[in-house]
Amino acid sequence: MRIRGGKLVAVAAAGGVSVAALTVLGRRSLRVQRAMAALRLAARGGARYASNAPRLFASAGEHREQLRNDLALQTAEDVAATLGTMKGVLMKLGQMASYVDDGLSPAARRTLSRLQDSVPPMSAELAAQVVTEELGRPPEQAFATWDPQPIAAASIGQVHRAITHAGRAVAVKVQYPGIAETIEADLGNVGLLRRMLKITAPSQDVEALLAELRERVTEELDYRREARHQQMFARYYEGHPTIAVPQIVEELSTRRVVTSELADGARFAELAGWSQAERDLAAETIYRFVFRSLYEAHAFNGDPHPGNYLFHGGGRVTFLDFGLVKRFTAEEMQPLAAMVKHLCVDSDPEGFRRAMVQAGFLVPDAPVPTPLVVEHMAVFYDTVRERGPRTMTGEYASAVTRKFFDFRSPLAPYARIPRSYVILQRINLGLFALLGELSATADWRGIAEEIWPFFQGPPCTPMGAAEAAWRAGRTERMHAGSLGQ
Amino acid sequence: MTGPKGHGLEISTAVGLVERYAAAFASGVPDRPADDGLFGPGSVTWRLAADLSAPVAGLRSVLIQALHPLAMAGVDQHSDWRVDPVGRLAATSAYLATITYGDRAAASRAGGRVRAIHDHVRGTDPVTGRPYAAGDPALLLWVHAALVDSVLAAARLFGTPPVDEDADAYLGEMAVSAELLGVPRELIPDRVAALEEYIEGVRPELRRTPAAAESMGYMLDPAGMGEEIAELWQDLRDAALATLPGWARDLYGYPEPPALTPGRRTEIRQTLGVFDAVFMAEPGVLEARQQLALRMRAAKG
Repeated sequence: MRIRGGKLVAVAAAGGVSVAALTVLGRRSLRVQRAMAALRLAARGGARYASNAPRLFASAGEHREQLRNDLALQTAEDVAATLGTMKGVLMKLGQMASYVDDGLSPAARRTLSRLQDSVPPMSAELAAQVVTEELGRPPEQAFATWDPQPIAAASIGQVHRAITHAGRAVAVKVQYPGIAETIEADLGNVGLLRRMLKITAPSQDVEALLAELRERVTEELDYRREARHQQMFARYYEGHPTIAVPQIVEELSTRRVVTSELADGARFAELAGWSQAERDLAAETIYRFVFRSLYEAHAFNGDPHPGNYLFHGGGRVTFLDFGLVKRFTAEEMQPLAAMVKHLCVDSDPEGFRRAMVQAGFLVPDAPVPTPLVVEHMAVFYDTVRERGPRTMTGEYASAVTRKFFDFRSPLAPYARIPRSYVILQRINLGLFALLGELSATADWRGIAEEIWPFFQGPPCTPMGAAEAAWRAGRTERMHAGSLGQ
Repeated sequence: MTGPKGHGLEISTAVGLVERYAAAFASGVPDRPADDGLFGPGSVTWRLAADLSAPVAGLRSVLIQALHPLAMAGVDQHSDWRVDPVGRLAATSAYLATITYGDRAAASRAGGRVRAIHDHVRGTDPVTGRPYAAGDPALLLWVHAALVDSVLAAARLFGTPPVDEDADAYLGEMAVSAELLGVPRELIPDRVAALEEYIEGVRPELRRTPAAAESMGYMLDPAGMGEEIAELWQDLRDAALATLPGWARDLYGYPEPPALTPGRRTEIRQTLGVFDAVFMAEPGVLEARQQLALRMRAAKG
């Protein structure tokens, strides 16, 4: 099977490597092709490791749970043997690729997203050992009640249920011991990755790309950062009619253990059995969450992974996992908003182009006529060009992805994605795919008008009205224009 | 090397390489073994066979084996390695998996098949003019010694190095496999010191024949292999050359490789990890490894 270049790029992008570096490859030299092949192999390693691993348990049928226990990771050495020598890094790449890859069927993508299931859980003793090291007490003492049986796998750990001494039901995410050191060691020795990148993205600053990759993954290894972000989102959306973010229990959260309110609800896969009206509402909430957070809170949760939502009906959604959050400055947000405004509201192509250059998406004086620039970029704004209901489809998501990875476009040689905006491409690559999978219909433009800071449109849906009421009632802290302290 | 079908020469060939190796491994791991076979889940042999360094051991092993003119002549004149080099290697790989993980009956059958093939492998080495027979215990012993020495050397440099007692235990365990093909037990070195002494004793007979130069040139830089695998193969080659004793490098005329820095060693281990992940994704491999892991864990305690 030949794997399309898009997949490779998607994987690299997902890994935090600047998509820009890869999108600007106009003509590919033989050398570049060779490098693409090498990186593709790494990607394939990750993806196939991911897609096949669930069989490990799936094939066991009814003995599945027993088998998981029998194979449980018992020591830090087991963790290193399972996830060391690039496997942890590959899994991270595969995991991220699992929802940005247009070359995969939804089923395959779901399989990939189940990657986490593929790694055996920690034994109860090993998980307890980590909790003891982190909280200073064994879990039976740190919590009033502790369930030694994990309820879910997390990306580099697993989740246990517990009840705090204050009587709160909580989810406790426990990191595999040694995994941070293992992945950091692999990212600390970047000879292999450097070789791949050097030929894949010859025009780019490879060291900067490597630094970014390391930074992104390292961030995810420290649960404290995630806890901080989640707490900010939780405060920001407190009282929201449809958006819920579980509160962090700070005194029970450390580098390798993070404790938050226990949330329950339907999983993304279950939405397939819900009515389209319910699916539309769920999609509206997700859409509002993404763009409200971005435009108003200047924060973006870069992980639109199907596993990170719990659905409660009536459009109510609980958002989980804030491992990959990017906050933007007002200066970074301004040109993004200007691009939307010029293109979609003012119908001012030249203004749009100027904003693109200002943001750094397009090199100044690129010998490309403005209509062509607009033509290339229009697909990304397709859903917010006009008022009225529109249905997100898998085809649209694929079209966006194809456009995004269109190396042959006359614009490609002059297009860039500044490092600070790289993460936003997950809107194009992840969010649209997710909404497409829901076949969600809404007046996206109408919702966007409510959210755009330069528009401040009136509520266009019942949810919008409820949200407006929530906004009106928010305290001073909520009005600050950025997340609380 | 030609690709089996379809997608253009390079890719399909690489796919064939990984798939056939994987199939060979999976075929050797039994679903319901009647017994623990020649070694068993608690053996050093099982542990080293699963070591990250195993591909390096495999490549080093053929490099050393090929230096015996008569062993090389047998392969060159009686196998179709030029037509189907991957198939030739995969067959060896399947045999090793079977005698390692199969039950005693399966190992015995596999040994019998190879002995029957060896019966027909006779001829005269065009370089030395000496007659050879594949069933000759001296040749079988050389092939065996090259393998076990390579497994230890590769693990020491790139894998989890065995402690001295384990290295000796490994040689003691593996002696059974040489016996299986007809080497008298008393000839088989079953300690590291004895192995080194034996290899030292054979060295005067070793040389790089044209067949060895040709086949090993191919092994180190397999022409027509998919470029994605080729990229990583460079590291595998460097790793094998780094583990090669100086005399073997000299016989081949390979330059002394640069000193292995810790960074380069880690990089090679990363490449081996990527290889391993790709390999593991092939049909049947994960299930096979899972079974072996369960049996090894049960044996531990």
